[in-house]
Amino acid sequence: MPHLAVNGIHAKYGSLDVLHGISFDVDRGEVVSLVGPSGSGKSTVLRTLVGLTPVTGGGIEVDGTSIDYRSSRSVRAARDRMAIVFQQYNLFQNMSVLGNVTLAPRRVKGRKRQEVEAEAMDLLDLVGMAHKAHAYPDELSGGQQQRVAIARALALRPEILLLDEVTSALDPELVNEVLDAVRRLAAEGMTMLLVSHEMAFVREVSSKVVFMDQGKVIEAAPPAKIFDAPDSERARDFFGKVLRG
Amino acid sequence: MNYNFQFNVVWRNFDVLLEGAWLTLQLGVFAFTAGCLIGLVGAAIRSYGPAPLRWLVNIYVIFITNTPALIQIYFLYFALPEFGIRWSNEACVLIGLTLNAGAYLTMILRAGFLSVRQAEMEAGETMGMSLPQRIRYIVVPHIAKSIYPALANFFIVILVMGTSVGALIGVDELTGQAINLSTVNYRWLEYFTVAALMYVVLTFIASIGLALLGRWAFRVKARIF
Repeated sequence: MPHLAVNGIHAKYGSLDVLHGISFDVDRGEVVSLVGPSGSGKSTVLRTLVGLTPVTGGGIEVDGTSIDYRSSRSVRAARDRMAIVFQQYNLFQNMSVLGNVTLAPRRVKGRKRQEVEAEAMDLLDLVGMAHKAHAYPDELSGGQQQRVAIARALALRPEILLLDEVTSALDPELVNEVLDAVRRLAAEGMTMLLVSHEMAFVREVSSKVVFMDQGKVIEAAPPAKIFDAPDSERARDFFGKVLRG
Repeated sequence: MNYNFQFNVVWRNFDVLLEGAWLTLQLGVFAFTAGCLIGLVGAAIRSYGPAPLRWLVNIYVIFITNTPALIQIYFLYFALPEFGIRWSNEACVLIGLTLNAGAYLTMILRAGFLSVRQAEMEAGETMGMSLPQRIRYIVVPHIAKSIYPALANFFIVILVMGTSVGALIGVDELTGQAINLSTVNYRWLEYFTVAALMYVVLTFIASIGLALLGRWAFRVKARIF
């Protein structure tokens, strides 16, 4: 049984259909990447998983239990197991780094302050941000903010980490510090589903790559296969363009 | 102008004026604090509440902001007793000012709700925070910081303009005491000059207090002047 099973989901923004029956599986400890052109619905897949965009058809299962996105209890259970990191970090601007990381564990999970803070410092250390624990987001670079956002998501102790184009808003120089943090998590066996345009990175960390276009899965395969010898014409065309040079 | 200033009359009764100023400060702080709570609930309902509740808040805001505070307080003091509800003059001023401030603060705080970054609210939502938790931990600190000047200005409006309405129904706040004392010995010019200066000092003290509170609680770097 896959850890996360996405079974033919549909979603729309207003009257615009953005997902037309997306299916793929993520096994425990696996890193799966969603790649494809802008507007293909990659980020929308992640948003539907955490209940930010409503699913209008199909279903999502975690460990064989299907999630009912109309039931707030079921959505809460899903958010309990999956945490998302956004492209624009979305840190709480009026809270220190430590405040950002400890807020949900303390207020949502009701855990003790000392215990949560100790764990938060460990997580900040993991992403190399422990020395900025008392800084505020507006005092940090984009790369630093994104690493804090990763620590904040990990503080929720998710089983599956969703990363939505976490390096797209960063200066080229800052990309690697964030990717290093993600590499470290992959090495530790964290189950991750990531949307990325960093093809070299995707190839390096993923066990499976799902290529999407216009709200459909065109092809899903291990990176070596999909990058070097894709079956579909559309994937060949896409990877031919993005990997050239 | 051949006027013979006699400020010693005022100094002799200065403690009475001070008592009035103290009451003014108390009325202002209470009405503003309670008004903020009403405003916060009102703004939250207008932003996230169901339609019927939103209409109720709209009616409250439209009704209060389009009628004079004096009429609202007169209504409480002179009209409510017709229905068997009798409050002291101080209670009427306090309740009237609070309801009045609540309506204006609903509008002021609503602007703060509108300017919260949607992305932060979404992040909070995916982290499992309930709507009240998101309001408490994301919206309120944001409001306190972003519309701090508007809030501080409104506090001064209540402190200076709001509370002095009390004098008209015999509440002995600063204006009331100045009227009381001047009617005894007709030293209007002296009493009102001193009372005016006391209002300036009062707002100065209040501004410093607000700036310190803002700095301490919300990292607001407010200038006092």
